[in-house]
Amino acid sequence: MKNKITAGKILSFVRDNSVPLMFVLICAVCIPISGFSWGYLINEIVTRMGRNIFLILALLIPIMSGMGLNFGMTLGAMAGEIALILVSDWQIWGIPGVVLAMIISIPISVLLGAFCGKILNMAKGREMITSYIISFFMNGIYQLIVLYMMGSIIPIKHFSIKLPRGYGIRNTVSLLNMRQCLDNLLAVRVSGVKIPVLTFLIIGVLCLFIVWFRKTKLGQDMRAVGQDMNVARDAGINVERTRIISIVMSTVLAGFGMVIYLQNMGNIATYSSHSQIGMFCIAALLVGGASVDKASIGNVFLGVILFHTMFIVAPKAGAEITGDSMIGEYFRVFVSYAVITVALIMYETKKRKHKSQNAQQLQLAQEEADKHE
Amino acid sequence: MNETLDKTNMTLRDRLKAFVDAFGLPRLIIAAFLLMLYIAAPIVGAGFWMQISNTINRFSWNAVMVLAMVPMIHSGCGLNFGLPLGIISGLLGATLSIELGFTGPLSFLMAILIATPFAIVLGALYGWLLNKIKGGEMMIATYVGFSSVSFMCMMWLLLPYHSPTMVWGFSGKGLRTTISLEGFYDKVLANFLQINIGSLSIPTGTLLFFAVLAFGMWAFLHTKTGTAMTAVGSNPTFAKAAGVNVDKMRMLSVVLSTWLAAIGILVYEQGFGFIQLYMAPFYMALPAVSAILIGGASVNKASIANVIIGTFLFQGIVTMTPTVMNNMIHMDMSEVIRVVASQGMILYALTRKTEATK
Amino acid sequence: MNKRRLLFRVGAVAILLAIAACMMVIGRGHTVYVDNKTLEYNGESYKAPYRVNVYVKGEQIARLAARERGMTTNIGQRFRMTLGVIEEKGGDEKMVDVSLKLPYSMDGIILNVPGYLANLPQEAWLSEFVSTPTEAEMQDEEIPSEEEDLLAGEF
Repeated sequence: MKNKITAGKILSFVRDNSVPLMFVLICAVCIPISGFSWGYLINEIVTRMGRNIFLILALLIPIMSGMGLNFGMTLGAMAGEIALILVSDWQIWGIPGVVLAMIISIPISVLLGAFCGKILNMAKGREMITSYIISFFMNGIYQLIVLYMMGSIIPIKHFSIKLPRGYGIRNTVSLLNMRQCLDNLLAVRVSGVKIPVLTFLIIGVLCLFIVWFRKTKLGQDMRAVGQDMNVARDAGINVERTRIISIVMSTVLAGFGMVIYLQNMGNIATYSSHSQIGMFCIAALLVGGASVDKASIGNVFLGVILFHTMFIVAPKAGAEITGDSMIGEYFRVFVSYAVITVALIMYETKKRKHKSQNAQQLQLAQEEADKHE
Repeated sequence: MNETLDKTNMTLRDRLKAFVDAFGLPRLIIAAFLLMLYIAAPIVGAGFWMQISNTINRFSWNAVMVLAMVPMIHSGCGLNFGLPLGIISGLLGATLSIELGFTGPLSFLMAILIATPFAIVLGALYGWLLNKIKGGEMMIATYVGFSSVSFMCMMWLLLPYHSPTMVWGFSGKGLRTTISLEGFYDKVLANFLQINIGSLSIPTGTLLFFAVLAFGMWAFLHTKTGTAMTAVGSNPTFAKAAGVNVDKMRMLSVVLSTWLAAIGILVYEQGFGFIQLYMAPFYMALPAVSAILIGGASVNKASIANVIIGTFLFQGIVTMTPTVMNNMIHMDMSEVIRVVASQGMILYALTRKTEATK
Repeated sequence: MNKRRLLFRVGAVAILLAIAACMMVIGRGHTVYVDNKTLEYNGESYKAPYRVNVYVKGEQIARLAARERGMTTNIGQRFRMTLGVIEEKGGDEKMVDVSLKLPYSMDGIILNVPGYLANLPQEAWLSEFVSTPTEAEMQDEEIPSEEEDLLAGEF
């Protein structure tokens, strides 16, 4: 009897956490094959946690307000990049440079986020595909600004940043003078593993902020909007405004996250750094067990650890198995896309099931009422 | 007197407004932009007829892939962002046809024949999936496309292809990223009845091929099955009440769309002269989607005319902007213009209020 | 209520602007080149010492023989270093503390040691380092199209 209950529990646990468990399995198989030492792996994962968690946390707020996975976080990443390009042209180095870049990114992010939110309000019910297309659209505008306006309209002084033709930014912008300045300040080494304490502190502050924000009036409003827009509107919540605010917040946080990400990397790939970042952040979040309508801070941490373990070991493991290094490279890209696909499918089927259940209940109630008449 | 003038003014403005509303402002801007390009082309010294024949050529390469959008829009499945799935069927057909040793025009025919079963099977699976998730088709379609492309990236490396024209020379396995079609079906359609007048050249064969397919699609949409499919798209509840099997119709439309995408990529390859594998099909859905939208289609309405107008406008901009812009302001902003115009068009369509999202 | 909110917002923006301005000042980075070269100034010649050791924050960053150049970076305008001057071969190291304000507008700054040691006016021993773009930097680059970076080697 007792066994049965535990078996049922295990089964439902497996069902609810199928994606993370699958990843644990992939990692468990790939780690020994790849032959990486634990020290190396842990070091890499800790570095990547510091680098990416802030970015991924930026995804939580739109999920809370029912707008799904914010593929438009790319917009924030672009804002962060523009800010960093300017800061590195002004030669502001080190931590002041990082802080300044974050501050400069705010107005850009707010502008882009408000634009994105406005458009998403016009496309209710298909926010995700729309935010996805917005990120492409904005990439065009970003290129217009960075490739044509910087240096001609926006003053750029240094030739190490500017293209020789006089306008436009180079393919890579070096951030050598602020490289890992956040990570190295207060860094602690524990048996060979470098722990970027300050970066983790910043992440901790953001986590606390998110926990606190959920309890504020605005946070509650967002959750209400996320649950049911019509009910929320009847309750006197300004639905459109709340949704725009949630996207703006996400975009601003993504901008900060991008600055943290790039200070760790040490250079900006001007035309490609942002393009895939949204996709990989979303994949990592989903790997942590989040879904399109529900995500927690725990999902973010678990997701980063599992996803990045896979990301590190897959190419090497693939090369060991097939003798071709590209296989693993393609494999991890495939897995990222597949995870998002599966999560989207699970979400949509659940939504439909819910709908039909509601409809059935409605029908039953109707029939009941008919009988009474 | 004054009053009547006011009235005519009003009606004129109203009429203009109604026209703009019906046609869509972004569409109008794009059409005006293209018109401007054509006017500017001879002035800045870019050969007018050369530009025209470039546009027609690119039109002939891409039109079939844009046509592939039509069935799914009709059945209410929205824009087929999952086009890469069909493209992969086409690529399988193309590579297998070469692998099996077919050459010349026959290889094109065989590529179509081999691609067809793949397209039907993959399309059926894809359609089955889309039936499970009605309402969220477009996002999932996008990611089905991405997943399948990245999955096939592994397969192109692992599948046991041997034809020396296709595999990497030094290792003898794994397909190359681009495969030349010389000696296979390079320009087989384009060279058929090709017309050359001065610098104007028209790939009659390809255009005829597209015309046949487009006519077939038009005819199909007017058969009983076709109208049933349209009914499913415009009003699924009504269609169901009328005894139409909604899921079956949607499935049929997805298979059709996938198959047309497979043919579409083969036509593209014969014009382009190369097979592009690996990540190449990744973003191929977006130009096709924006082309049909530019042509006047919406998320739940599309016609053959939309396909033709849209492909012409879109490819016109793609071919014209680089040369004209370069000659005019010595700045190649064509990439930016292309991205902003095409993605802006998709955004516009997505933000229109439509009833078809149930 | 609304007024308070507005005030609060204006205050927040003002604080951010203040922080930004502050960062602009304290975060300005300079590259400082220390030259141990004989200097001609107003017709007089100031001879370079045999060797100069340059210490910044207690660390030796350069050992300069005559006619050599050392390099260090500095964030902010307040620049401190210690020069260990050895006039003749085998002579004693004489420590000189240097503290000076770097001009905000200069990226690269050349400091001439003999000139500084001779207490000449600042314009004599402080000059701007103007970098000329290298050959490689002057070559035009291809701007990648969107398809190229789909694999995300590093994330």
